[in-house]
Amino acid sequence: MSYYLGLIVEYLKNYIKTRMTYRADFWVEVISDLLFQATNLIFIFVIFMHTDSLGGWSQGEVVFVYGFFMVPFGVFSCFINLWGFSERYIVKGEMDRVMTRPAHNLFQIFLENVDPPALVGSIIGIVIMAISGSQLGLPFEWWTIPAMLVLTISAVAIYTGIYTALTSLSFYSDAPTGILPLMFNVQGYGRYPVTIYNRAIQVLLTWILPFAFVGVYPASLFLEREEMRNMAFLTPVVGGVFLAIGLTAWNYGVRRYRGAGS
Amino acid sequence: MNAIEVKDLRKTFKVQKNREGLKGAFQDLFKRQYNEVAAVKDISFQIPQGEICGYIGENGAGKSTTIKMLTGILVPTSGHLSVGGFVPYEEREKFVQHIGVVFGQRSQLWWDIGVIESFQLLRKVYKVSEQDFKRRLDELVERLQLQDLLNRPVRKLSLGQRMRCELVAALLHNPSIVFLDEPTIGLDIVVKSEIREFLKDMNREHGTTILLTTHDLQDIEALCSRVIMLDDGRIIYDGGLEELKNRWGTGREVQFQFGTGTKLAQLQAWTAGLPVEWSAENDLGAKVWIPLEINVSDVLGQVVGKADITDIKIIETNTDDIVRSIYQSGSAEKKTDANDVTEDESVMTHV
Repeated sequence: MSYYLGLIVEYLKNYIKTRMTYRADFWVEVISDLLFQATNLIFIFVIFMHTDSLGGWSQGEVVFVYGFFMVPFGVFSCFINLWGFSERYIVKGEMDRVMTRPAHNLFQIFLENVDPPALVGSIIGIVIMAISGSQLGLPFEWWTIPAMLVLTISAVAIYTGIYTALTSLSFYSDAPTGILPLMFNVQGYGRYPVTIYNRAIQVLLTWILPFAFVGVYPASLFLEREEMRNMAFLTPVVGGVFLAIGLTAWNYGVRRYRGAGS
Repeated sequence: MNAIEVKDLRKTFKVQKNREGLKGAFQDLFKRQYNEVAAVKDISFQIPQGEICGYIGENGAGKSTTIKMLTGILVPTSGHLSVGGFVPYEEREKFVQHIGVVFGQRSQLWWDIGVIESFQLLRKVYKVSEQDFKRRLDELVERLQLQDLLNRPVRKLSLGQRMRCELVAALLHNPSIVFLDEPTIGLDIVVKSEIREFLKDMNREHGTTILLTTHDLQDIEALCSRVIMLDDGRIIYDGGLEELKNRWGTGREVQFQFGTGTKLAQLQAWTAGLPVEWSAENDLGAKVWIPLEINVSDVLGQVVGKADITDIKIIETNTDDIVRSIYQSGSAEKKTDANDVTEDESVMTHV
């Protein structure tokens, strides 16, 4: 365990050293990330210009959920980045190199693609939660920070599980799949109260692609929404299950890796 | 003890068949057809500890596939495999701690950071202690003369410089078995011989077992006591390099330059009784083919003194020629069997 923590530190140091040479890149990335999040937020404000409540949720609550959503998403985007996996590691065969090193291959891939600018999104998310939380008059309890930590980690585990499982499909199919961008769209639904969707989509977002657990369910714990409290408590369990599914699919897929070229 | 043990190792790949034309492409979309292609077909060999073994074969013969199975990257379809006491694909992370791998066509190093920083990172990945790392690095840097390169980013190194750094990167954790996949590809002659010397020394000093694939047979001649030759997924030769030369090098060629015109018929008459074969371009130059079992001096004895010779050149069949003819025939065994049966004929039909 301390071995892996040490590696995280080393790779981050390396990232910084590399990025010293491309400083402009860093800021471009941070700003484009923020603009992307800002448009989503503006969308929420536009909706609430036309209505006072969305399926029983006020503007302040929806904004708070959005703030919470940004926190695990930032952490996930920073440490778990599988976007170019098929292209870089399978088609170009870089997986060969990864597999001849004595650390878990998936972990190495995560580390080689760390993207710290994404963490700025998490910070903004916390700020949004703080502002809208105080406007809503939400109490700050002793358990707020521990719960925030546990729920963030669980949500990151859900993301990781889903994306790892889907990415491991590239071990079976030669062509890079277009399923990841689709997923990226679906996960956006999790940041709004699921109760506004019809039953089928609710089931989908809760049990099949549990993106409701990375936004609205855990956030409802802080919003003191009784009807979703049990779901909030369930978040770590869902995180564990999906992470296990993802890792199993991955480890199984790696055995099918065929290498590239000669 | 054997460092590498391979028994009936086999690897088959499923290859998708693409049907022709637009219609075929649509059919492929719904129902794919696959071909099973065996890249490595039930090969067996053992490599004892401390041996340098060359692994050669044409492109696509299955060399890289074997190396990838031996290093734990690929899972074999069937067969037994033991490298340094481990089954590579089963305990990969523990196993790779004991091996070093260099892929000549791929880099181990981080492109944008200094060479030394890459080494530091690998030190952490391989859990090498600070002291061991320093000792080992000093030794390697000294030996490969990398002092001036350590702080440069990898992308600014020449291929030769980079390859020497790759070697260091693969050896920092002092592996007992080293796999080299075309380590000298694209390098100039100076760097090539430097790397060969280095590998030889390492083998001598640390008893490191080395398995290398290459297309440059001089690598093999300089380094390997043993060669395994692969063709179409099967081992067609496994043994010493000298033996290979003896078995396949069917003879030597001697070229004569004459001061005065000498007729071919005359030359043939002088060596009548010896199974040699003369050929002449003109009266002033002739070549004679001498099979292995005849001494060159016997033939020379018949000619020297009788003819007015200005120059003699003796040409041994080199390994390149031998290997080329084996590749072309596709087997080292078949031909030698044929040799035994119709020895005279094969001597006479030398190309």
